[in-house]
Amino acid sequence: MANRKLQITKLFALSSENRKFSFSLPLKQTIRIGKRDYEVKLKNDEKFGTYILWKNRKYPVEIIRSRQNKFEILFNDISYTFTVETPFSLQRMKVLNSKRDKVVSEFIRSPMPGKILDVLVREGSGVLRGEPLVILEAMKMQNEIISPVNGTIVKVTAKPNTNVMKDDLLVEIKL
Amino acid sequence: MKIKRILIANRGEIAVRIMKTAKIMNIETVAIKTAVETNAMYLSSADVIFDNTEDVSEIPVFLDIEKLIAIALKTNSNAIHPGYGFLAENAYFAQKCIDNKIIFIGPSPDAIYKMGNKTIARKIALASGIPMAMGSEGNISNEEEAVVIAEKIGYPVIIKAASGGGGRGMRIVRKSEDMEKMFIIASKEAEKAFNDPSVFVEKYIENPKHIEFQILGDTWGNVIHLGERECSIQRKHQKLLEEAPSCAIDDILRTKMGTMAVQIAKAVDYYSAGTVEFLLDSERNFYFMEMNTRIQVEHPVTEIITGIDLIEQQIRIANGEELKFRQEDIKLNGWAIECRINAEDVQAGFAPDPGKIENLSMPSDSCVRVDTGVQAGSSIVASYDSMIAKLIVRGKDRKQAIKNCKMALDKVWIKGTKTTLPFFRMLMRHPKFQDGSFTTAFIEKDLDKFYLNSEYEEMLAAWLATKIFVEENLNDNSISINFEHGKEMSPWLLNKRINQF
Repeated sequence: MANRKLQITKLFALSSENRKFSFSLPLKQTIRIGKRDYEVKLKNDEKFGTYILWKNRKYPVEIIRSRQNKFEILFNDISYTFTVETPFSLQRMKVLNSKRDKVVSEFIRSPMPGKILDVLVREGSGVLRGEPLVILEAMKMQNEIISPVNGTIVKVTAKPNTNVMKDDLLVEIKL
Repeated sequence: MKIKRILIANRGEIAVRIMKTAKIMNIETVAIKTAVETNAMYLSSADVIFDNTEDVSEIPVFLDIEKLIAIALKTNSNAIHPGYGFLAENAYFAQKCIDNKIIFIGPSPDAIYKMGNKTIARKIALASGIPMAMGSEGNISNEEEAVVIAEKIGYPVIIKAASGGGGRGMRIVRKSEDMEKMFIIASKEAEKAFNDPSVFVEKYIENPKHIEFQILGDTWGNVIHLGERECSIQRKHQKLLEEAPSCAIDDILRTKMGTMAVQIAKAVDYYSAGTVEFLLDSERNFYFMEMNTRIQVEHPVTEIITGIDLIEQQIRIANGEELKFRQEDIKLNGWAIECRINAEDVQAGFAPDPGKIENLSMPSDSCVRVDTGVQAGSSIVASYDSMIAKLIVRGKDRKQAIKNCKMALDKVWIKGTKTTLPFFRMLMRHPKFQDGSFTTAFIEKDLDKFYLNSEYEEMLAAWLATKIFVEENLNDNSISINFEHGKEMSPWLLNKRINQF
């Protein structure tokens, strides 16, 4: 298939909290703060690995995930998720978002591999935000998996005394 | 020296730590190589490596009493150091060592047993006149009994496992309606974790500081204390940062609490290193919590301000030597802070993040000490705890120690897993940490975010994401975009590739 070619002069990085950072193309090696441009250097060091040099400070960086236009970047040990959008894809996204139905279910997944010690909810019962759902044991620690939402439990897949992998579905909550 | 060769019944940083002192003392060490960590760092510090990689048993060798004794005998080790965790506070293990004529580097089995059982420890403390939170006299057998005691001493109360430790089997109860549920949970948890379902109830001290005293005792009946450590920065009873001394303790209170700590140690004829833990409330009342009969993770902060090598003292005491210093010889100098750098994701509520450490670089400044069992290429495995390193920083006073710690934290580079570094970077700048008014409730109550970042840091990360996108997708570097692109790629490959940009 032939590539679709478009003229673009700008790109946007949208954070998971919906903050928008815009960069004009061709991408500069500087970032403007107020009226001054500061040079950004991406460097590599045998001992430390990849880092960004900015205002005389070195920040370790790592790309944790990269898929199509989605990126997870570890910057100074804190991770950030961005989608990089062109002016066209941003416009399309806005249209799609306005038409999309509201989310109806919250899927609670295991944040890490471990063992389910206890399941504290039943199918059909109501839960409040902050209420513990499941007790997961991982790396000698007991972790309460907390409901992030108010809703009704529609499905419980977690079973006591079973092992789970990261991202395994534990509980489904209908909003 | 009777002790010629020590079997280290442990792994990780504490194994490295013990071997370091043994080497200085000209004592040989034996480390155990296990199948889960065949190229662990601690193995390279040992004189002899016992290969246990063929062992396919479910229980880790560090918990297998019979096997450890057999290994000690086979390798001609005439002493065992248990480190912390695993069998360090197992009276039966200590007794087994003695039965096999192996020197156990730790206290007597009797002291371990008495202090390990919280109900017995409470009775001993009570008889020695140590202040304690009001509570049940012994174990309680059902929730009705718990309710009666709770009504007498007043809510909130805390249910604790008699054989417990490390926060497991503990539940806070604020009203009688919750007692039944919490009693069952605590008892169940206690049985699972410690093989003993018995629990007791005591008054719950709200928002206390965690203050503990380091004790040293010898087999000649001398017991002294080496001052306090404050470990109030904790999450779910897991300590994250410790410091010595504590800004909540002045000389008068130190003498008072230290004397009590020595008194309880003497009540069980304690020898070796030990720690007496207290809770300190906002009115400066203190309550005995428990005694730990082992070397603690946070022992380095005490070593720094006293200049005493605690592992050396443990070995000398086990060797039958008398303490070389008296209470009045102990002087506290400066301030020390220890940050536990763990493979945990602070952005996901401190969830463990096991994995391979691709790169690791630690500061080498003179005010910094690093205790670690990990090097580049090591893995943080899910079967053990998530510790990567302890960053121990000193200063002439607390302010200087915090300043040095801030600097040191920015020099720690760890690649491969997420770490607790962002938490400590935030903590060093938090007004409540700086002014010393924090309590054990700090993480749960005073923080809404466990890390700190500037808006510029996020912008730089956004720039990097955009840069990768440009390199991957744009032809002619500016004007066109290839929408067909988008395969998944290994992050490490990507990291290599961005170096070529």
